[in-house]
Amino acid sequence: MKTRQTLAPLALAVLLVTGCAKPPAEQIEAAEKAVKEAQQSGAATYTAQEYAKLEGALAALKKEVGDQDGKFALLRDYGKAEQLAASAKADGERVKTEATKKKEETKVAALQAQQVAQDAVKSTLDLVAKAPVGKDRAALEAIKNDAEALKSSLNQVQIALDKEDFPTAQAQAQAIHDKSQAVSAEIQNALAKVGKGKPSPSKKK
Amino acid sequence: MTLGRMTRAIVTWSICAMILAGCVQAVPPDLVAAIDAIDHDLIAMRAPEAAPEEYGHFVRQWISLKTRVQSDDDLIRWPWETNDLEDALRRLHDEGGSTVARLNDRQVSQRHTAEAKLARLEARLQVIASQVESIDGRIVLGETPVQTDLLIKQARSFIEQKDYERSIQASEKANHALLALTTVLTRELGRYADDKRIAHWQTMAKQTVDWSRAHQSAAIVVSKAERMLTLYKNGRKVLSYPVRLGFNGIREKQFQGDGATPEGRYRVTAKRGQGKTQYYRALALDYPNAEDQRRFTLAKKSGRIASVNSIGGQIEIHGVENELMAQTLGCIMLDNPHMATLFERVTPGTPVTIVGALTGQNSVALALAQLGNREEET
Repeated sequence: MKTRQTLAPLALAVLLVTGCAKPPAEQIEAAEKAVKEAQQSGAATYTAQEYAKLEGALAALKKEVGDQDGKFALLRDYGKAEQLAASAKADGERVKTEATKKKEETKVAALQAQQVAQDAVKSTLDLVAKAPVGKDRAALEAIKNDAEALKSSLNQVQIALDKEDFPTAQAQAQAIHDKSQAVSAEIQNALAKVGKGKPSPSKKK
Repeated sequence: MTLGRMTRAIVTWSICAMILAGCVQAVPPDLVAAIDAIDHDLIAMRAPEAAPEEYGHFVRQWISLKTRVQSDDDLIRWPWETNDLEDALRRLHDEGGSTVARLNDRQVSQRHTAEAKLARLEARLQVIASQVESIDGRIVLGETPVQTDLLIKQARSFIEQKDYERSIQASEKANHALLALTTVLTRELGRYADDKRIAHWQTMAKQTVDWSRAHQSAAIVVSKAERMLTLYKNGRKVLSYPVRLGFNGIREKQFQGDGATPEGRYRVTAKRGQGKTQYYRALALDYPNAEDQRRFTLAKKSGRIASVNSIGGQIEIHGVENELMAQTLGCIMLDNPHMATLFERVTPGTPVTIVGALTGQNSVALALAQLGNREEET
């Protein structure tokens, strides 16, 4: 009987100590890491809405932990925080995968546009090169100037690609392609006219 | 069952039914659906990319409240109980609605700004292109017109993608490029609007006419801006013919291959008739003369001309070799019937004075003035 009386407060103390719940630090850390990795994968750009929701989930998790921290120790319950952390971690990983995929798709589209633009500029430059030397070079000189400008503009696409600004790279490449086609058409018209004359000897001017 | 017991049972069930009927769900489902709809509206308006802070603020609250909605899903409240979750949701609903309206207004305004900027730029580029074309100044501008055109195309493509911010950025770059275009034009061709230079050219032309009068001989004056060749005989104008110049003819000649037509006092050194020239008839000029040589040497020394360049030569007044040839490599070209007439009226030694312009109201000065006015408008 005496022993029981001695053990009772001890058991209560143990109960009090073990009854004090602790925040799920590891899970929270894992969730934060997943969100950060999603952000680093470009989620804010490529899956903006998903990323915003992910940040929202992280904020909700922190609020829940804060709410529980604010309660009397014995009443704290971090079960919901654990759930939120697990869900944020899973979402973070999913968003990272999606963002990586989307980024890769955008990159592939930009690279394809760059290739198409390069081909278009090359055929424009080939057309300029075909122009007979000394034969109404004057008519082709201005167009040649434009073709050279298109060639140097391709560097801008590369710069945008290097900066991973794929939407700008794609828009630039598309514009170069369109302009190249217009310049090519102009050269073909000029060449069609020039073709009717006889070649001129090379002259000083 | 006695009547009393039945009455008690009915009263008990009635009370229970009244109590149950009076109970309400923690959150009205239609309110949750309405906020979800706002979220969809914001996404459709590209709010996550266009207004990340505002969307982030909304979504943080929404997720936090949604979490509470899910955990309070099985709660039933008395109608008289205060429901702070519902209140918070209603506030978010109102705020979200305002955000949608604000973003919508902002997007409409951005779209208008982007479209208006682009329309102004396209119109200005068109004006510049046509002015430059009219004075054969396309070469003068180098690669800038293509770069400007590419930026304008990008701005248009971003508008099509509803990415108004990027469109405005591309338009601003294009605007800078257009300003650079007008700066280059003014720098390169400003001498056509320079009163002192025009007075100098007028003096050169007058001296040529005076020489013609004094020597009772023929003399030629060519004005590049007016694209006009005038023949004087005994100091009197006898004919004026339109001419075509080099593909970069509006500029002052600096070196071989630049396509510019030289300016200065020259003489006809030889007459090349049929079979002696590829251009129907030709009058060879003494370019480069001593003054050209002096200028060229000075420009090379100062580094304005690369050391690999040479001064060029074989500048002529000639007829048309190919009917479709619009410009020359630096010579002065006349239509064949005009060339035939001129050819008959000049002899070797005839002075030929080539000037930029003879009046302040020349085509290049007018084009520059018009571009300046358009710049002020934008």
